[in-house]
This record gives sequence, structure tokens and C-alpha cells, in this order.
Amino acid sequence: MKSLDITLEIFRYKSGEQPHYDTFTVQVDDTAHVIDAIDKVWAEHDHTLMFRRACHHSSCGSCALRINGVEKLPCITRFSDVGDGKIPLRIEPLRNFPIVGDLVVDVSGFFQRMSASDMSITRDAESTLPLSVDDLSTIVQPKVVELPDNLTHFNRFENCIECGICMSACPTMAVDNKFFGPAGLAAIYCALQKTDDPDEKAHLMALANGEQGVWRCHSAFECTEACPQAVDPAGKIMALRRELTANRLKKAGRS
Amino acid sequence: MSTPHVIVIGAGSTGSATAHDLALRGLRVTVVDRGEVASGTTGRNHCLLHSGGRYCMNDQESAIECIEENMTLRKIMPDLLELNDGLFVAITEEDLTFKERFLEACAACHIPARDIPVKHALEMEPFLNPKTLAAVQIPDGVFEPFRFCLAFLATARLHGAVVRRYELVTEIISSGKSVSGVKIRDYRTGKIETLGADLVINAAGPWAEDVAAMAGVKVPVQPTPGVMVTLDCRLNNMVLNRLNKPSDGDIVVPQRATCTIGTTSWKVKDPDLITIPPEHIEKMIDQGEQLMPIVRKIPMRARMAVARPLIVKDASDERNVSRTFECFDHSYDGVEGFVTISGGKTTTSRAMAERVTDIVCKKLGIEAECRTREVRLASYRLFFQGGQQ
Repeated sequence: MKSLDITLEIFRYKSGEQPHYDTFTVQVDDTAHVIDAIDKVWAEHDHTLMFRRACHHSSCGSCALRINGVEKLPCITRFSDVGDGKIPLRIEPLRNFPIVGDLVVDVSGFFQRMSASDMSITRDAESTLPLSVDDLSTIVQPKVVELPDNLTHFNRFENCIECGICMSACPTMAVDNKFFGPAGLAAIYCALQKTDDPDEKAHLMALANGEQGVWRCHSAFECTEACPQAVDPAGKIMALRRELTANRLKKAGRS
Repeated sequence: MSTPHVIVIGAGSTGSATAHDLALRGLRVTVVDRGEVASGTTGRNHCLLHSGGRYCMNDQESAIECIEENMTLRKIMPDLLELNDGLFVAITEEDLTFKERFLEACAACHIPARDIPVKHALEMEPFLNPKTLAAVQIPDGVFEPFRFCLAFLATARLHGAVVRRYELVTEIISSGKSVSGVKIRDYRTGKIETLGADLVINAAGPWAEDVAAMAGVKVPVQPTPGVMVTLDCRLNNMVLNRLNKPSDGDIVVPQRATCTIGTTSWKVKDPDLITIPPEHIEKMIDQGEQLMPIVRKIPMRARMAVARPLIVKDASDERNVSRTFECFDHSYDGVEGFVTISGGKTTTSRAMAERVTDIVCKKLGIEAECRTREVRLASYRLFFQGGQQ
């Protein structure tokens, strides 16, 4: 393990002041993640630096920001992923959110959108272990396994951690703040999979079809590209469009 | 008389659950945190909803508290838990010598435990060490610390509590021998504001010593970090624990598409400055490999460390009202209106909150029953709505 000198140019904004960038250099080890460097800037240089963080392992979604212009979770981003350690890394808040201060954005509008579908963050799972990493393809995917005594199903948190990265990466959001956004629409899709109630289904489809819904998406697929959790919001938006179109054709056929 | 106002310093699991209890009992509550909710010890948590299995052999009181709270949390936050149970597995002959004791200890603590056939365990957990000699199923679960706190705080806000984030308590103000409020600095504006209070609760975790010092009292905290390693792949359906004495790297907690091996323990001076010792990361992989041999082949997704707030205990300390966590009424130190609560586990934070709220209500002359066992929490998403960012 060797130590790296990391220089960060961090976006700063305090109420009533001009936004600007402050430059800090900190030492971290070469297995560190970008959050560790931001944490060190805060701990060693400036306790007034505002940033969001909680879990440091991509489960809470709170630390999302932009590194050299690209949306990332700094808790799982290594320096080797974004530069060679010599180039100053530019650290900026997410786009398309109001800024509260420094790297902290106001996520209230986003969570309002996430609430609209009322998607529960847990779901029943088939049972198998998701082996998503490519170089693990040699491992035989376990077959459907017998459930433990006393359990009727396995249970998982939804993959979406509500980090807001897709909202920041979405070019439609940038010009159209009425848009529901990728995460909210993906949540509608997931909520639809979990319900058999026709009224609930109709409500969710109406949301997807509504003024803020799937038809505003320009199919840029930036959300799917940026998502750290492989949620594939764009794929889900397209699936909702297909379903809405199919429903429309069915209705037209009946009339 | 107007409704008493209580300020809670710290929006981790202890502060959040306490704010919820106080608000339900009708008090006016303000929670102040220098950062985001759960940005300290609670956030970087192993996410284990304890069944009590880890404690039943050496600390019955903690184990009983864990299983009771485990069952309560299933009722009040059912949507916020991954509930797949856990296994305690024996890999070596030495591990196996603990099995009968473990089953007896679980029974004594009312932890539902089943000794299941190894063949069945290996079917359910295909990556489990094939040398496994025994497996006992217990009701472990998984939560998410950030949303855990948000749910308590969202519910507290519905009952009138105010949560102020990115605001640092810079001073504790006293009038005579009694704490009467705090000064806080808003990191958004740099402005200093004074907030009056009838009582202040110090729920600052490993930073509790600094907060206590502002009130002129001593709470000797020993910040004791632990390292956790998160792998880039979920390898287990259930929580996997090593059947043996508690030790470093004796658990792999799955969550979503990852799993996290933990943990270690060492001492630091400043909880803000923690450098992860590389050998601790290696140790996690070594130990994790014993539970699931494939561990070493899986890329690391993240690694983290945060300080637990261990309080240097003196058995004769009459200020300490609990043995499973620390709650100090500082009137014993000559300072009225100031209480410190620390230690414990996120799993048991509701119970801690109940105990500290009982004490606070008694001090403020309020008679109100605790209802946090029954009241189902509001959606964590509501925390961010209604005017607070």
C-alpha cells in the first residue's frame, strides 16, 4: 500500500456568497475512495464544508455528487477510476437540484416524486443470489434454493438507493423541471410489479402516462449509464411506454 | 406552563429514536446535527438487525433486549427490513463445542433457534464453507441505518419535532447550575443562533465527550473504530455468523446485491480522524473466507470504519442507570437539565430512547406513557418533505 497526494477542487457555496472552488490537498492510501479524501478535507482543513454521507458502502445513497463532471457515489469510486491522482479532481454537487450549501443539495422534490408511486423499498425475491459481476461468470449460478424453515419467501431491498444520480445525469431534467425523472418512473414500474390491485395499477399507469410522465423522456439513456445500482431506469421507462401503447391499442380495438 | 422544550444533540439512531419518543409524549423537540442524518457512527453500521444470538452466551441481558427490539422493529418499521433470518455456523471442531451451549443460551433468552441439517444449510447458502459441521437458524435481519433514522425523525416531525441539520452546537448555555439552551452555528450561513431549552440531551455518540465538556461535565468516551469490508456481490441469502466466541470478522451481513464482512476493533484519539489499518482489511477477507471460501475472489466494493462510542466504565458509577447502554443524569455532577445517552446498538435504540425519555419526563414533571412499541413509523421519505431539505 502506498499513499497518494490527492488534490481536490471543491465547489463552495454559502447563502449570500458567490459560488467558487476551494483547492485542498490531502494524503490517502491507494485503496481509498473519493469519500475518504472529502472526509479528510473536512476533518483536517475545513469543518464548515457541507457534504452528505452516511453508510460509506453504497447503501444509503446520500453521498452522490459529481467528480470531474460525472455523477458518482464517492464511497465506491476509487482514484484510479477517475484520474491518476495528480490531476486535481473537481468535486461538485448534483445538477438539477437546488443547492443548500457547498456539496449538499435539496432532495425534498426528489423524495416527493419517489413518494408518488409509494413503492416499498423491500420486495419478495425468488431466492437466488444475484451474481452481477462479469468476471464471476465462471461461478455456477445457484439454482432456486429451498427456503429456510419458517420463511415463506426471501426478502430484498430494492436496488434503487434514491441517490438522485439519474436526476442529475438526465438531460430532460435539465430543461424540464416538470419531468418526473428516471428514478420516480422506475419506482412506478417496480410498484406495478408488486401489485395485483386493478385500482392501484390504474393509478400507477395514469401517473406514468401523465403530464410529468414517460412521454417527456428523450430516450438519452444517460440515467441507465450513470446509475450505480444497475436499476436501468431508461429500460423501465421504455417498458412503461410499451405497456401504455399496448393498452391504448387494446382500447382502440374494442371501440 | 408552556410545553417543555427538549434539544437533542445528534441525529444518529439514539437521537432519532429519542426525538420520536419525546414528540409522541407531547414534548416540544428540536434535533440538532452538524451534518446529515446518520452521518456518524450509525450510518457506517453493519446493518445487522440483531436476533441476540451474538450475545446470548456471554451477555444475557443484551441478548434479551435485542430479541425484544428485533420483534418490535418488525412491527413498527416492517417495510424497512430485509428479513431472511441468519445462521450460526460451526466450521471447526472447536466451533462445534459451542453448539449445545448456544442452543441452551438461545432458549434461555427466548431467541427462536433451530438446529438445521447441514445439508439444508448448504442448499440455502451455496457459498457456505462445505466443511460446515453445524448450522443454527435464528431470526437475524438487515436494516438500513440512514432510512432507519429518517423513519423515526419523519414520525417525530409529524408530531411537531424540528430537525436542524448542518448546524453545529458551539456552546451549552447555563443559568445557575441548570442548562438553559444551546448556541448553534448554521453552516449554510455562518450565523450563530441561541435556542432556549428546558433540557438538553447529549446523543453525540463518540463525540459525546466534547459535547459534555461544553456543559462542564465529564463523559469519558473511548472512540473505538471497527473496519468493515463490502464485497461487490451478494454471496449469502441469510446473515452468516461464526458459531464461537465473539471475534474479529465473525459475520457476513448481506444487503441488496452486496455483503459486508465485519468487524475489528482498535482505539483512536479523535473520532474525526480514522485511518484504516490495511491489515484489518486483510483480516476481514481471511475471516470471511472461512465462512465462505469464495470471498477472496470477489472484488471489494467499499471499506469503511467509524468509531463506536465506548464509554470508559466505572462499575461504581452511580450516574449510570443502565447496563446495556450508558445514560447519565448529570444532576449527579451538579448540572441540572442535561442528560447524556450513549453506547448500545442501533437494534436497541428504541429501548434506549424509552429509558432516556422516561428519565427526562420524570425530571420535567410530565406524565406520559411510552407508545413507541406500538406506533407504526411514517414513511422515511416524508422526512424530506414539508419544508425541510
